[in-house]
Amino acid sequence: MPHLQGKLAPARGHPRASEAFRPKVPPKIAIVLAPKTKNGADAGMARQHVGVDGSSTAVIALCVGLGLLLCSLADALSRQTLDPSQVLFWGGVLLIVLPIVHRLSLREPSLGEGLALVATLALSLYVVKVVRDPFLFTFPDEPIHAFNANQIVDHHHLFNANPILPVTAYFPGLGGATSALMTLTGMSSFGAGTVLIGAARLAFALALFLLFARISGSTRLAGLGVVLYAGNSNFLYFGAQYAYESLALPLLVVVLAAIAEREAAPASRLRSWAVPILLGIMAIVVTHHLTSYALVVVLVALAVVHRFRSDPKPNPWPFALFAGVAALGWLLIVASSTIGYVSPVLRGALSAILHTASGETAPRTLFHASAGSIVQETPTLARLVSFASVGLLGLGFLAGVGQVWRRGRKQPMALFFSIAAVGFFGALLLRFAPAAWETGNRAGEFLFIGLAFVAAYGAVLLLRSGPWLRLRRAALVSGIGIVVVGGAIAGWSWDTQLAPPLRIAADGRAIESEPLALARWVQRNAPGGRFAAADADARLILAPGGALAETGASLDIKGILSEPTLSTWEEPILRQHGVRYIVADRRQLATDVVRGYFFSVPTSSAEPLLPLAAIHKFDRIPLGRIYDSGRIVVYDLKDHP
Amino acid sequence: MKGHRDLELAAAGSIVCALIAVVIPWEPVRIVAALPLALFLPGYGIIAAAFGSHRLALPYLLMLSLGTSLAVLALGALLLNYLPGGIRTESWALLLTVVIVLTCYAASVRRPQPARQQGARHRPYPRRLDVVCGLVAIVAAIAALILASTPLPAGGAVGYTALWMLPHRFGAQDAVEVGIASAEHSPQAYTLEVQVQGRKPNRTIQLSLGPGDERVFELPVSPGRPAGRTAVVATLYQRGAAKPYRWVRTWLAAGGSAG
Repeated sequence: MPHLQGKLAPARGHPRASEAFRPKVPPKIAIVLAPKTKNGADAGMARQHVGVDGSSTAVIALCVGLGLLLCSLADALSRQTLDPSQVLFWGGVLLIVLPIVHRLSLREPSLGEGLALVATLALSLYVVKVVRDPFLFTFPDEPIHAFNANQIVDHHHLFNANPILPVTAYFPGLGGATSALMTLTGMSSFGAGTVLIGAARLAFALALFLLFARISGSTRLAGLGVVLYAGNSNFLYFGAQYAYESLALPLLVVVLAAIAEREAAPASRLRSWAVPILLGIMAIVVTHHLTSYALVVVLVALAVVHRFRSDPKPNPWPFALFAGVAALGWLLIVASSTIGYVSPVLRGALSAILHTASGETAPRTLFHASAGSIVQETPTLARLVSFASVGLLGLGFLAGVGQVWRRGRKQPMALFFSIAAVGFFGALLLRFAPAAWETGNRAGEFLFIGLAFVAAYGAVLLLRSGPWLRLRRAALVSGIGIVVVGGAIAGWSWDTQLAPPLRIAADGRAIESEPLALARWVQRNAPGGRFAAADADARLILAPGGALAETGASLDIKGILSEPTLSTWEEPILRQHGVRYIVADRRQLATDVVRGYFFSVPTSSAEPLLPLAAIHKFDRIPLGRIYDSGRIVVYDLKDHP
Repeated sequence: MKGHRDLELAAAGSIVCALIAVVIPWEPVRIVAALPLALFLPGYGIIAAAFGSHRLALPYLLMLSLGTSLAVLALGALLLNYLPGGIRTESWALLLTVVIVLTCYAASVRRPQPARQQGARHRPYPRRLDVVCGLVAIVAAIAALILASTPLPAGGAVGYTALWMLPHRFGAQDAVEVGIASAEHSPQAYTLEVQVQGRKPNRTIQLSLGPGDERVFELPVSPGRPAGRTAVVATLYQRGAAKPYRWVRTWLAAGGSAG
């Protein structure tokens, strides 16, 4: 078993390296899956011996660097409103991904090399997100969490109220961790949050790789599994945003990797492994509700499988119990409002599923903008790529699940991953139910871990020795490229894949978008004030504005701001809830938490605006009109005759 | 910790990094010091203490150090929240340093004395082509970040001008502060008119602003304004245009406050 040495074996130079790092899975798993030459030698190794290595680390690094430059160039052209072809952008993404897949497809990498490859992949794809948003947090949840971090630093304490998403204040793990970087470095919440999520992404990739390697016994399979996970529709953008799940999910994978290592460790090391596991569980519980509940489900399921299999490996039930008690305790003692936040979402999803299944509600059309929407539709080719990615994942699953059953069924985690993979395809169906698609999308992020593992078995199967190996390798590399690109297309609207203009140059000076300028003005002139504003404006008023903002269904602000007339009860209710300022924004995009932060860019059709009466109704009360930038006007409820 | 070079370095490094983060005012220097202090060393110390004599292989050490450090940051804030002083630069620096030094000490107690220096390790030297590729990759990545953070002209984006008015904030009575900020694509000329209680313009100002410029005027509203609340209206015109471009309004009470 030549390729197993140097993978999971003890590190050289460490005479005390323990048994924990020796492969505990039957060596035949990796041997059978590895490509062989006719004389039985490993094909990859044979190539290495004759010095044929078409994909050195330096060349991969070069491709990654150039890929990032291409993505940044596409974003730059988009910020210039030049409407560049997205081919440039996707070409950059593929330039990052494909050389890494190609290298993994050639031969079994060493543990260190595999780790370096997946770390490069995770960090470079994260930088793709960073170069899209280099000035400010503009993803839907980011300003909300940035506000929490700013509040912690300003008030020196946790649990400060958040007006838009109150439940986030009761899960202070992300804000607390960000406060450490903010206070120690002097960085803003944007800088500190960007670094923190980058570190979390790195931890995620390393942990997922080591987890897959431990369960499968193959570093190549583990590397391909991590690359396949990048095909999860939330990986490129949504899952990389500054939000509590983006920290909690990596911690969950670190915990699973540590549990897998603990299972392989000798009895004398069990307590050692318990330390990072317990710390990770506690950190997840205080960071994100759904991830902590997912962790409890995973640990309980693993404990049950262990129990029924009478496995000699240590049963993780103590961790399941600890996680369950910690999550429940946190929910009941600290974050009881989570129930009111999560249950309507889940009830709505369930109801939508039932209504769609019974035919009462028409199924949601994929990639289709709602009627009257100004959102650009996804081109047909992009849709085909996205559907092809799901098809390829299905093929990978079908090819891999048998292998997992034959070779990995003695591993409780392998079995659990297989069930999760099936669950992923079930969650895909939720995308057809109008009110359940987001639940399915979020669940997919967790379930995809299992699918990536199973599909990686299928991918490695394609690399078995035999005829047409080069062709099969090329097919695998192309297929994974389609999976990654197709996943990203499915996960984020086509028209916002590239950076819209937020801060631009004019006559040699930098100017910022209208809603962002409002937020800066609020920061200078009304810090701590309470505003009623449309969704996107409200988020910017939170961060960087540093003020409080009510929005959406809260106090019927959506109706108050968009209607041409004001009901008699509406103004008093705002006053009763302490709202001082009203932000009237004529842009219909102001309610769009993805597109509402940027400069208006007129296309062939006129910019969709609310009727002027939607603004003028506040003049007629009359109220103090203290800020006017054309589309956005701010009224002061305390300022009147 | 004597003899355990990694633990000595981690403990001493944490103290130096914490001091730099607390004392030095320059952000880039603090970033260099604070990142290892927050994102690596706490986890390294805890893992070293937990595993004692058992030395983890580098990949596992990296993963666990990073993951455990993130967990320490998430939980550390909770601890600091209930300690006197709360969450501040000094408390974070102290907490992380204490965690690192104590866990490194615990690790040194649990570890046996290190073996004598082993033979020199073989260090692979990269080929010249690899170095060139690596350098080009680094340059390309840096260029990508610089390009991303450089504001670029965007002719298709709609420019705007913001006008705002607030009662004077420094306690001076009968004055308003009027600000005009231009985010137009080119220099613009404006006329600003201020009316008190609907009478003819109390004040007219001609001004030009380039993109990104902002002018703030402190404008007296009286003498001679009527008693009670006084409506003050500021109207901005683009030079030569008759139609108001922007307008704002406030009511001044006695004492210069709104409402």
